[in-house]
Amino acid sequence: MVGVDSSSPREPTALAWSTFLLPTKAKVISPQDQATTPVDPRVLDAMLPYLTDQYGNPHSRTHAYGWEAESAVEDARKHVADLIGADPKDIVFTSGATETNNMAIKGIARFHKEKKRHIITTQTEHKCVLDSCRKLSEEGFDITYLPVQQNGVVSLNVLENAIRPDTSLVSIMTVNNETGVIQPMKEIGEMLRKYRGIYLHTDAAQAVGKISLDVNEMNIDLMSISGHKLYGPKGIGAAYVRRRPRVRLEPILSGGGQERGLRSGTLPTALVVGLGEAARIAKQEMKRDHARITELSDHLIQSINAQVEHVVRNGDVNGYPGCVNLSFSYVEGESLLMALKDIALSSGSACTSASLEPSYVLRALGAAEDMAHSSLRFGIGRFTTKAEVDFVVSHIIRTVNRLRDMRCVLYHQPSRSSSESVPSPLWEMVQEGIDINSIDWSQSQH
Amino acid sequence: MSTTVVTAPSRRAILDLYAATLRSSRAFSSYNFREYFVGRTREVFRGMQTESDPARLRTMYADARAELGVLRRSAIVNQLYGGPKLAVEVHAPAQEDTQQA
Ligand SMILES: Cc1ncc(COP(=O)(O)O)c(C=O)c1O
Repeated sequence: MVGVDSSSPREPTALAWSTFLLPTKAKVISPQDQATTPVDPRVLDAMLPYLTDQYGNPHSRTHAYGWEAESAVEDARKHVADLIGADPKDIVFTSGATETNNMAIKGIARFHKEKKRHIITTQTEHKCVLDSCRKLSEEGFDITYLPVQQNGVVSLNVLENAIRPDTSLVSIMTVNNETGVIQPMKEIGEMLRKYRGIYLHTDAAQAVGKISLDVNEMNIDLMSISGHKLYGPKGIGAAYVRRRPRVRLEPILSGGGQERGLRSGTLPTALVVGLGEAARIAKQEMKRDHARITELSDHLIQSINAQVEHVVRNGDVNGYPGCVNLSFSYVEGESLLMALKDIALSSGSACTSASLEPSYVLRALGAAEDMAHSSLRFGIGRFTTKAEVDFVVSHIIRTVNRLRDMRCVLYHQPSRSSSESVPSPLWEMVQEGIDINSIDWSQSQH
Repeated sequence: MSTTVVTAPSRRAILDLYAATLRSSRAFSSYNFREYFVGRTREVFRGMQTESDPARLRTMYADARAELGVLRRSAIVNQLYGGPKLAVEVHAPAQEDTQQA
């Protein structure tokens, strides 16, 4: 129906390969939306007054600028609260989801450490959650890292079996940043209701503003929110910390006692206003955004599947459609990424895309090492256009086919780093009908 | 102005606002913002055309007016700090007319 109609003399699929490799200053495509999102121009417009004329300290109530700033901050707090069904008083502004995750996990654990020393999380959490837990284990806490099922979803039974009398916190992310997998937070919250004294925290950085969330319906006690994942500025985020019943945690920062004493420090008015406006717009646009993103996501997946074989979709198909993670068999991940480097996708997780290590998230889903290696994550967001999707698709198809045709040698594990590894024309073998996984590589090398 | 609680904005007024909003949307120098706001403006105003409740229409009109101010300023700022063109916009035809609901 829509699309770059084929009558167009300049349709992107007609581009020569070399065009993409020209050392042009042109950016090829907008950045993927999981790593970060652009600031919505409407958000910037709301922020500008507070970076120019309205420079008051929101905590100083003695002059007019202070009042203005304070009321702007409170409006923003309300917008953030409205987006997740919370009371504005339950919202604490922070510098982002990394800080909020640290604050929630370490804060709960340390506050309750006399009686409770056990925390449950999953293997597919964001690095900042896993690293906060690692720090706590150095402090003597026990951490259970739950495995996930092959579709990336945590099993309720597995979670329930991990609960101990001394469990203080369960921390499970709402939407995974690499695979888009959505965890059943409502069911998890419902189940945890049976256990008294266990708090439920969710890293909702990738979910807020994209899917509808309600902290009461989901029985969530703490939630992490990040500004730059919902078209707001970087360096601002929020924590939802339930007051009724009261969630008690030890603050990380000591100081002037702002933000209910949980997060001392002068609030950055402009950033707070930006987050608030981003939240307001997200609520207003969620239905439309979601419909468009779903349409583009389906188009992306169908177009790739129609034109390349041996593509595996990683993670639950009912995940968030704006995050699509595909593995291309018989293509080496780094070659793929190098060839596609002008396109802002990332192999594995954004923050670790420079690393050669296959994604730990995909490995937790049971992906074979080589598949975790040749995965690409596609981010589709509010400002993605259909032309961009078509552009990326044609680029990917050409690249994957070219790499496979080059009989690009792939060092199959486990001999990947071993000196006796034999380069094997895997793609050729596949085409001959040989099941690669059935080959015992260690035997065939003698 | 005084007793216009139920008076809907005129068709003419809506069309003028539509034209002005489209113009501001097209003025963004960033490809992605431009495409987004053009598509969204079309949708918003299509929604207004089919709205029969005068009270609702008044609210929609007022919102759209406020938004025009935001878009006007935003387009100017965007022009001041415009980046390089994307390859996709250099090589692909404008999506404007194909971006739809
Ligand atoms: C799931 C998830 N949690 C936390 C973060 C960190 O957020 P921030 O950059 O706001 O600290 C990110 C983004 O990098 C994320 O995707």
